[in-house]
Amino acid sequence: MKPMRPILRLYPSAWRRRYGEELADLLDELPDDRGTTLDLLRGALTLHVRALIDRLAPRLVSAGGPPMPTHPLQRHPTATALVAALLVAPTAMFVLVSFLAYQLELPGWAAAVAPFMDGLGQAPRMVDLFLLAAPLLAFLIAALPLVGLRLERVDGELRITLALRARVLNLIVLALCVLVGGFLASHLLVEFLFEAPR
Amino acid sequence: MPDRSPGSDPGLLLLISLSGGPKHGHAMLLDVASFAGVRLGPGTLYGALSRLEEDGLVEALPPEGRRRPYRLTDSGLAAVRGRLTGLSAAVSVGLARVGNR
Repeated sequence: MKPMRPILRLYPSAWRRRYGEELADLLDELPDDRGTTLDLLRGALTLHVRALIDRLAPRLVSAGGPPMPTHPLQRHPTATALVAALLVAPTAMFVLVSFLAYQLELPGWAAAVAPFMDGLGQAPRMVDLFLLAAPLLAFLIAALPLVGLRLERVDGELRITLALRARVLNLIVLALCVLVGGFLASHLLVEFLFEAPR
Repeated sequence: MPDRSPGSDPGLLLLISLSGGPKHGHAMLLDVASFAGVRLGPGTLYGALSRLEEDGLVEALPPEGRRRPYRLTDSGLAAVRGRLTGLSAAVSVGLARVGNR
């Protein structure tokens, strides 16, 4: 199996049922490279955004009529939370290890994690970017199934209804994203403001 | 300046490709690369293809083994003809103006 195939799981499930097999077959004929991987990720994101727009747009211009189908993300909040958790996991590990080693200064931790940190320091910038962006992206993914935005025109005026629902797993992942993202952001801010440039 | 050339519109490239006859995904990638010099990624290809099918501009044919070919519908043919005619007029005017300078 191609290493890129698991990315197909990020595609909307309805779309995947129709095109997933064809796309998987096409991947077998293409080289595994970063460009293809990024294109697959961008494709998945585009389809989710498109589905969201398709779902919301009719509500902007009409009221009544049959209920709109629920977005796949809202039908699978648990799976969404797990994807978000996987996405934020590397950053969470990094933050936890840094916290134990450099904030709490647990004996032996700094020396133990030094090779890992050195390796990270020499990794491509894309790795840094991923670590930074992952909590934000994971937050959005975990939050999406919890938020229902309904725009409708009632008696000539636009009515916006925001519905929130609570799903324990999604809320836990959201809290983790806030914690990890907040720690990382504050750490970077302090480093930027108070540490002399190297 | 953002790229607004036909090469930046995967949907149009696929319509042009399918106007030459039915093709499956990989054949479309190769065809687009040969006539436009654009390497479409698999996500871009199937994202655009699904939109074209949803809009009724292309339709899927019965699978041939593991591959499923697609072909233009009558609406798709009219759409690609209209788009290319519009582009052709703009290109003619543009080339004439550039040539006069």
